[in-house]
Amino acid sequence: MKTLMIVAFRNLNRQKKRTFLLGGAVAFGILIVTVINGFSGAFSRNVAENMAHLFAGHVFVEASEKTPKGKTLDLIRDDSAVLEALAAAGIPADYVAKRSSMNVTLVFEGNKTSQNIFGTDLEGEKYLKERLSFKDGGFELTKTEPRALILSEGVAKKLNAHIGDTILAQLKTVTGQNNVGEFVLAGITQDMGLFSNMLAYAHREYFNQLIDIGPEEYQLFGIMTADLAKSELVAARLNAALKERAPVFELPPVVPAPKKAAKSDKLKSATGNTDTAKIEAAKTDGASTVASETVAAASDSSSPMGSRYRKLLRLSRKETWEGSKYRVFTINDMISQIEELVGVLNGVSLGILITLFLIIMVGIANTFRMIMYERVKEIGTMRALGMHRGSVRTLFLMEAGLLSAAGALAGMLVAALVMLGLSIPDFGTGTFFALLMKNGHLSFSPPLVQSIVNLLLVVAMTALAAYLPARSAARLEPAAALRTSK
Amino acid sequence: MNRPSVPRVFAAPSFVPASFVLFFALFFSGVATPVFSQTADVKAILKAIDEMNDFTGRDFTGVFTIVSDKPNEKQSAQQIRMFRRDDKEQFLILIMLPEASKGQGYMKEGDNVWFYDPSSRKFSHTSLKENLNDSEAKSGDFTKRSLLDDYDTTLVEDGNVGKVPVRVITLKAKTNEVSYDIIKLYVRKDRPLVLKQEDFGLSGRLMRTTLYPKYADIGSGKFYPSQMLVVDEINKGEKSQITMTDLSTAKQSDVVFTKAFLEQVN
Repeated sequence: MKTLMIVAFRNLNRQKKRTFLLGGAVAFGILIVTVINGFSGAFSRNVAENMAHLFAGHVFVEASEKTPKGKTLDLIRDDSAVLEALAAAGIPADYVAKRSSMNVTLVFEGNKTSQNIFGTDLEGEKYLKERLSFKDGGFELTKTEPRALILSEGVAKKLNAHIGDTILAQLKTVTGQNNVGEFVLAGITQDMGLFSNMLAYAHREYFNQLIDIGPEEYQLFGIMTADLAKSELVAARLNAALKERAPVFELPPVVPAPKKAAKSDKLKSATGNTDTAKIEAAKTDGASTVASETVAAASDSSSPMGSRYRKLLRLSRKETWEGSKYRVFTINDMISQIEELVGVLNGVSLGILITLFLIIMVGIANTFRMIMYERVKEIGTMRALGMHRGSVRTLFLMEAGLLSAAGALAGMLVAALVMLGLSIPDFGTGTFFALLMKNGHLSFSPPLVQSIVNLLLVVAMTALAAYLPARSAARLEPAAALRTSK
Repeated sequence: MNRPSVPRVFAAPSFVPASFVLFFALFFSGVATPVFSQTADVKAILKAIDEMNDFTGRDFTGVFTIVSDKPNEKQSAQQIRMFRRDDKEQFLILIMLPEASKGQGYMKEGDNVWFYDPSSRKFSHTSLKENLNDSEAKSGDFTKRSLLDDYDTTLVEDGNVGKVPVRVITLKAKTNEVSYDIIKLYVRKDRPLVLKQEDFGLSGRLMRTTLYPKYADIGSGKFYPSQMLVVDEINKGEKSQITMTDLSTAKQSDVVFTKAFLEQVN
């Protein structure tokens, strides 16, 4: 086998130009697919991180209550249950945000624009103080002005408003009543492009007055955890702890996690001791319940019927209950359609890979047939010297395999350089695509498993393309082959 | 359908209810009106206004033409046909113009208000408090309302709308489920017709003014505005003029108040 490998390698080296061209075709296909996979790999993470910054949280809690007329109001009147659940679940929250929110129409000197405003603790919200970067005004002004408003530069320009200007805000209360209030522009932040119309901040106490809720009430409790990747687990723990203290909205699991054969059954059959089996069963089942909830939570997100967050919202419209009922969700639940898009992108890239290689396979098959005819005498010599048919076939297949593996690896290397190059330019945060980027830069994260699968697929397809010529070469009679003239 | 007569606003009334005779006698006598009887009279006025807009026992239809003006924008025109059945708190609004919105509609059934889009063939939940397309009018402006049930009277004073003497009644919402927390009605002293209405937000700021310069006699002692002017007091320069024609109280087919009707019409 080692000898065959060496011979195959030498054969590839003999016709460098041909080897280079064929390998180049393989490399090109892998390059395209790897870049697409890399983009889609970073896609959902970038969107999740950007959205997490927008909403100041990875894990969120909301509450709903029903009015006497059956309408649903979304607000948290008393967050003691949430805070207790947070402590009981042992969740270290780096940052906690308590926010009200409403979409308003800002009007100033004949100019108007739609804007989402967050009513928040401008003095106490740590995350906000660290994230906001002002071009004009700042937190010093918000301290002294209860009607302070912080807008992004783009919105302030649209309204032609400056620090100190009084801006009218036309809005609806939580019950849908019309209202209008005045804000004083106290801070103008760096332009946030696409996010500009989503990111404006005001004192929660004053904002709550405008939307007709109590000064200590709010609508969104956000927790920024240390690691976005663990947000599902954190949400599951918080949900379990909150369930013990208050009613919680829950979706039925769409895709139940596959349960391993109960340890209890194995134990029982092994030991015949049912008590030990019961204890073990409780431990196993408890762990698998949390795990299955987590898996169910994640899998719910990708249901084609809408994001998990929207499904939870729909529950609050359909069900009736007394008092407040809570829902716990993550940033991924809010953007679960992004995962579907990522799946589509990956599917498209796989389709591109297969299509490209079907074309390349035709070329490889023809080339190897040509190689076979070129080497008829050589094959005859090798067969005459005692080489088996199988070894001849294996030699050809090895050449094809080595060619495609080398081409694929080269393609991946070039893809890495291309991705590095593409991630350098700063597109800024003012574009529509800022949501997909990391701080204005394209980012790539090719999944390792996907890359390995692509490599193996390419090698397999190339070997398949070379199989028929390899088989024909193996079937050559030595005497007939030696008699052939070029 | 017969076009209803449109009386001039300044025409002398042909019939004056007894309660109004008593009301004017007290007013011109210079006697300080006791709070009790003033409250009772205001309630009677509000009740009369509610009844004027109540079509229980019959259906109400009309064509509404809405012309909207916004600064720096071209004037826009819409036309809708409205059907109302107050017995069952149902109404249906069908948009006929502009062409881009033709076939869209609103349907109210109980507490649910649906918006229909023929391009997607889908119904979506909406609210009476939303503006009708891009105009200053809201869907709720055309439906039955109950001032007595929804509001408390906080102030009654005299005033004028142009040269017409009016009673200015300030009302405060009893619940937070109505569109505006405070409304001010300018009601003719000689008959329960609202000539002007001012709508205030929760903060007490004037948000919208609606003028009713003309009414149509639709029979059975009922008058319905044949012209409305809605002025946005927040966005200066924005206003909508609404003209109502083909007003009728003839019975409609039950199918009119169903989602199927909106789908079939398209």
